[in-house]
Amino acid sequence: EFPARFTLVAAANPCPCGYEGDAKRRCHCRPDRVETYRQKLSGPLIDRIDIRLHVPRLSKAELLGGAAGEPSSAVRERVEQARARQRARSATLGFTCNGQLPGPLARRLVSLSPEGRDALAGAVETLALTGRGFDRAMKVARTIADLGGSERVRAEHVHEALSYRIDLSDGSLARTG
Amino acid sequence: MRTRFADGVDGWPPGYADGDENLRALLVIAALRGIDANGLLTLATREGTAAASLDVIRSGGAGSEADQNHARILDPDAILERIVQVGARFIAVGSPEYPAQLEHLRDPPPALFVRGRPLPDVASAVGVVGSRKCTDLGRELARELGRGLASAGVCVVSGAARGIDAASHEGALAVGGHTVAVMACGIDEVYPPGSRPLVARILQTGTVVTEYAPGVPAEPFRFPTRNRIVAALGRAVVVVEGAERSGTLSSARHALEIGREVFAIPGSVATPTSFTPNALIRDGAMLIRGLDDLLADLGLEGGSGQRVLPVDLTLAERAALDAVIGPVLPDRVAHELRVSVPEALGLLMRLEMRGLVRSVGGRFERRLAGSGRQSDPAPSPM
Repeated sequence: EFPARFTLVAAANPCPCGYEGDAKRRCHCRPDRVETYRQKLSGPLIDRIDIRLHVPRLSKAELLGGAAGEPSSAVRERVEQARARQRARSATLGFTCNGQLPGPLARRLVSLSPEGRDALAGAVETLALTGRGFDRAMKVARTIADLGGSERVRAEHVHEALSYRIDLSDGSLARTG
Repeated sequence: MRTRFADGVDGWPPGYADGDENLRALLVIAALRGIDANGLLTLATREGTAAASLDVIRSGGAGSEADQNHARILDPDAILERIVQVGARFIAVGSPEYPAQLEHLRDPPPALFVRGRPLPDVASAVGVVGSRKCTDLGRELARELGRGLASAGVCVVSGAARGIDAASHEGALAVGGHTVAVMACGIDEVYPPGSRPLVARILQTGTVVTEYAPGVPAEPFRFPTRNRIVAALGRAVVVVEGAERSGTLSSARHALEIGREVFAIPGSVATPTSFTPNALIRDGAMLIRGLDDLLADLGLEGGSGQRVLPVDLTLAERAALDAVIGPVLPDRVAHELRVSVPEALGLLMRLEMRGLVRSVGGRFERRLAGSGRQSDPAPSPM
């Protein structure tokens, strides 16, 4: 039955051979093929993917030297608490999590600190954020604040949210001059 | 000023392209796809004029079979019409607009097709070359060099390819300077097609030049040949980036062969695109760290001025910036600062928005200080 609620998780290579930008191996793709490859996902489609991350190859030192991460049980605990906060905030409106909130409602419910608001406003210009991108970054920032147990969405939450919006065409965050 | 080479060839013979008959023959010769300037020069040395050279080709005495057939059917009037149609000029060797500096080459082109502004003197032009595949830093450096050279009144010569070429042209255009694109195909075409918008902009204030008549397609062997013109038009060539087997090396070799200065921007020994500049430096090219070094070495005024970090960074932001040594993972920055990875990401994001760092493939590296956006749209205390 449609519409369906779903969570999209996808992975992609940086180029047809997979080594573009790799520190160790040389990419053998022609530059125009890399460009064409990356254009397979249209801008409006990419804009709807809330969190976009690069996962680089790790060096031996990075693989072996890193501190052990949190156990999944601890992460689960944190996620459940964050979701409980979101439910409590929006249940009366018929929503269970931040991602479901329509833009105008989100703008009302996401209580941005003045610094957080400035940070987001600045990103509209520097990151050429679209209206949709703005709403989505705001909701991700709200979720980051929820994960941190913070009722206000502060600048650092906004900055973290914005760091998850890399431009897939060139891997940068911002369109810089 | 001509250089004598071992094979006894001494530039184009006087009168090679004089008179209508020779010019018409030269139009046909420039439209041939196989024979190169070297072959034509050998022929010219023996035959004396363009018309006599063309006769030999047509009668099967020189050139490939395809060239011979082509030479018999090509119509100089049709070529001329096409030149006029695309707003180009035909400049044969010996004509006043033919750049004297090209005669330093062992194999100068017998003719040029030019669109736009007249070509610069050798003293007021510099070539900026590098690979199509380049790093963001390389692109940024090339743009800065283009901007700085143009601001100092120097014409920026390059090949209108992607990557370093395009960035150096764009830098010059950004300050309204003169830039020359040397093409490896006929004057009625643009290669690569993706560079058409760039070439259109270059034509508004600059120059597009090629040795090939309308209709000659871009082919791989023409690129190193084209590079000799990029090398010869200016007084120096700057190599920004180039991988181990790249055309960039051929530009530098041409430059050295005719006594042009070669400058190169070094990079990490682990960066594939720094292979060529690093190798050139080892072979004696002048190392430059950027625009200021280049302008100083060329004896020019200007430059980017003082490069100071913004003073209004918070302590945490400054610590994060200090932790960005080479391309680093956010995890590494978090570890150095003893903060969580999300916190480190937030700090790096702030630095990125201020043009101080950039993310490349999930790692962060520094940008050239002062080349990013200067205004912080959202100064926010930490």
